[in-house]
This record gives sequence, structure tokens and C-alpha cells, in this order.
Amino acid sequence: MVDSNNGSNGSSASNGLLVVVSQGQSRNPEKRVLEDSIATVAASMPNTTSLVVPHLYDLASDSQSVLKMREWTGPIVILSWLYDRAGFWVLDRHEIRGKHGEVELLNLELVNDDDDEEDEDKEDEKAADRVANIAVRPSRRIYSIDMRSGNSAEVFANEFQRILAAEQLDAPKKELLSLDRFLSPTNSTALSMDGSGRLDIVDKPVSHESPLGIVPLRMDEHPQRRWYPVIDYSRCTNCMECIDFCLFGVYGVDRGETILVEQPDNCRKGCPACSRVCPENAIMFPQHKTPAIAGAPVDAGGFKIDLSKLFGAPERDEDPAAAAARERNEQLILAGRAAVEFDSSNAESAASTSSTLVQTSVTKPDRKADELDSLLDQLDALDL
Amino acid sequence: MSESLTFMMGDFAAEFPTDRLYAKNHMWAIRMADDIVRYGFSAYAVRLLQDIYFLEFEIEANSELANRQEFGNIESKKAESGLYSPMAGKVVRINEQLLNDPSGINVDKYGDGWLMEIQGDSSEMLTPQQYLEHLAKAWEIAQRTIKGQANTMESNEE
Repeated sequence: MVDSNNGSNGSSASNGLLVVVSQGQSRNPEKRVLEDSIATVAASMPNTTSLVVPHLYDLASDSQSVLKMREWTGPIVILSWLYDRAGFWVLDRHEIRGKHGEVELLNLELVNDDDDEEDEDKEDEKAADRVANIAVRPSRRIYSIDMRSGNSAEVFANEFQRILAAEQLDAPKKELLSLDRFLSPTNSTALSMDGSGRLDIVDKPVSHESPLGIVPLRMDEHPQRRWYPVIDYSRCTNCMECIDFCLFGVYGVDRGETILVEQPDNCRKGCPACSRVCPENAIMFPQHKTPAIAGAPVDAGGFKIDLSKLFGAPERDEDPAAAAARERNEQLILAGRAAVEFDSSNAESAASTSSTLVQTSVTKPDRKADELDSLLDQLDALDL
Repeated sequence: MSESLTFMMGDFAAEFPTDRLYAKNHMWAIRMADDIVRYGFSAYAVRLLQDIYFLEFEIEANSELANRQEFGNIESKKAESGLYSPMAGKVVRINEQLLNDPSGINVDKYGDGWLMEIQGDSSEMLTPQQYLEHLAKAWEIAQRTIKGQANTMESNEE
């Protein structure tokens, strides 16, 4: 299952594997170190180019980072602090498209060996309606990896190795000259040599770019934070519930009458209401604190102690449809508009699917112990 | 900072300056002008959060907030939480500095690490002494809440 453009003489930037590390917004020093070491190890692998970009979700469609990724026609590995599904579909929205590449390095916090897997094997009776099955994506593969899946560069290196083998790119190949066009497109495509015939990397426009791709290429951009829905087209059936529900003009349709997030920046920061009314649970807000809304598998839990109740979160006992209506009204009022009536008869049926999903995840935290052991220790210490 | 009261969170002594008032959701409050109040996290909140890595505001200046309305979220090394308005009113300013470096809250919680300023009726705020009484009650619940979550995690391990 290898793309035809893996040949050694491709004229576009399509040789080998592109590994993109999307930096987090968080100042967590451990995350920063891991990002750097992953990017570095990727750059050292055969036939691999390593690219570091700012937080994927914040990137504008015309940002340098997105333009850079769009040039790449070969397989891509995207690593982000997002659930893998969210990372994949954020790229898709930026027209960096491909088929879903099978990833073996998974976020263990999310892997659940419960008996909930009956859905997995079930035939998808709506398969014919799914947008991704109608508007077929290019055949190259995009491997989306949640960086929470491992805590050392080594485990990521192993996964890159596995992917390179799957793409038949694991054999060391001779220098990929066309790579230079990707790294420094404004330069001459030929590598310049100094008098002794060695590669001259000194007068490259950006000094830390290596023409051989041994050092990660870093995009120096500082995008503003954004907030918008991301559609998973492998779930979306184009039912139009979201476009009907959202009163801020976020959604639109393309020429083929397929739903799309047309005006992402019209979206109201923090508001996840449309994802609650989506009957297929196809709408993600990758930054939302509820894992199921952020694109986690159905049975996923959070990772950290939630202090919201202690910090004043109101007690609420509402179903997702009611929550969606309340959240929408809060946003209408914040925007200086009038609240609207909640039509329960309509919304409730639509929300029933996602409601079950969301609630399951909330009431079933499924966390790993290591980080929490120390928290427990601390709590015990606090007791006295 | 002049005088302060102390509340023991286990072995940890949380200090609460008496030059200001406090909100039940563990924010301090200082009156900046007639009806404008500046809010920040109290030592109690910061102790529960510990190292803060990320903060996001979902509002901007001039947003109208209801009491306890969610206006953002915060993430630390150990915990995460929504941010909830301590009172109803209009947001006058938010501390944009914290977006780039939320550790400002850890460094100077009672000063430069302030969160936001709200214009409205702040008559519900507690005096330092009242806040300490509130803490005495809240501390039990806080420990139970945290342990409850921790226990759920433990039992799910199996």
C-alpha cells in the first residue's frame, strides 16, 4: 500500500516521510522537552524530514506552516497534543488530506479493555452516508499521533520506524536532492558546494535548516489562539443539524452541498453547543475539557483532577440538548443578542446519540496511576 | 503586603492578606474604583492547582457575565478547572499577560498575577475572617472531592 510518488526522483517535495511536531500552547516544560526530542529523533531517521510548527489548531489556513505542509504530497506523520482524530481532521480542514494511517502508538490513558467494544465490529449501517465515503480523500496516508501516547523520544522513534517500513521507506536511500526545495524553496534547487566539494550550509536563508534534513525545520510563527469546530467526515452524514443550530454563521456548505466550517472565527470561544446536538458525534472542539467533545474515543476519561466544583462551577443536572441550548443562549447574550427558546422536542432526539456518548465519558474517568500516585501521596500528607 | 491571616491546608500554611476581600470560589477581590473590582486566585486556590501551565479566557473586555458563569479554563501540573465568575457584572479588563505566561499566578498571586477586573455589585464578598471560616468548611469538601476523583481512578485501574 505505497504511494506511487515515493520514487527517488519526484520533482515536488514528496520524497520520504514528513514528520510534523505541533507544539503545545501549554508552558509545561516536560512537554517542550518531549517535542524537541521527538523532532530531533525524526530528523535523524532515513528518508524523513522533520518539521516543527506552532499549535496545529491555532494555525490559519494561509499560515506558512500550513502552506509548507500542503506542499508535501507524500505520507505525513502529525504529532500534536490533541486526540489523534482531532489532529487528523484539523489537517483535513486545511486541505492536507489523505487516508487514515494506522497508528500503533496509542494514548494508553484512552485504551480501554472494557466490554464496551461491541460497536467496533458492528457494520456501519450509515456507511453510505458518511461524507468521507462520498468525497474520497487522496490515497497517501496521514498518521496522526497524540503526543500523550509516550514520554520518551524512543517510543516515538520506534513508531516512525514501523511507519517507514509500512511505507517501504525504511531502507537508507541516497541523498534526496529534491528535499532542498522543500527546505528552502526560494533558493536554487541545487545544493551549493564549497571549494572542497562539501555541502555549504552556511549561507542558507535560515541557518538551522539543514539541506539534508538532519536538523528539524522550525516554523517561526506565533499564531493567536483560535476556537472553532472540527468535523470528522468519517462520521458526518451531512444531516445539517449543526448549521440549523448554530446562530453565529459558522457553518456553510460547499459547492457539492457538503457541510463545512465556513467561518471558523465566527465561533464563540468556549462554546461547544453544536457538538452536543450532532447526532453522529462528528463535531469536535479539540481544546474542550470534556474528552468526548475534544475528539477522544467514547470511553476516554480525563487526565487530571477537575477542581471546577471547588472553584464555583454551578451544580447542573441537564441533558446535552439542554446544555447546548443554555450554552448557545449564554453566547447570544455575550454577543449582545437575544436568547432563543429551547425547542426540546426537536433537539432532544437529535442529541440522544451524542448525549449517551458524552455522559458515559464524564461519569467514567479512566485514568492512569503513575501521575496520580504522587498526587495521592500529597493528599495523604495534607491530611495531617 | 502588610497583615495576613493564615489557614493550614495540612502542613501548608496558606496566607491571606487582610487588605482585601475574598470570594467564595477562592478569588481575592480588591476595589479599584467605585464599582470596579480586581480579582485573582487566593493562596488556597493556587495551592490546590500548584504549577500553572495554561490559562484561557473565553471572554474579553466588555463581556457581561452572570454570577458563576464560566469564563475560561486553567490547567496546572496536577489539575484542571473551569474559571467561574465571582460576581455578575461587566468585564473591564483581563490580564492578557497570563496567556503567555500563566506562571505569573504562581509567582505573584496577590499582585501581578491578577486575573480580571469586573464592574458590578461586589457586596457579597467576604471579609478575610469570614473567608477563613468558609475555608474551614470548604477544606473538608475539597479533600473529599479530590480523593473521590483519585479513588475513582484507582478503582478503575483494575
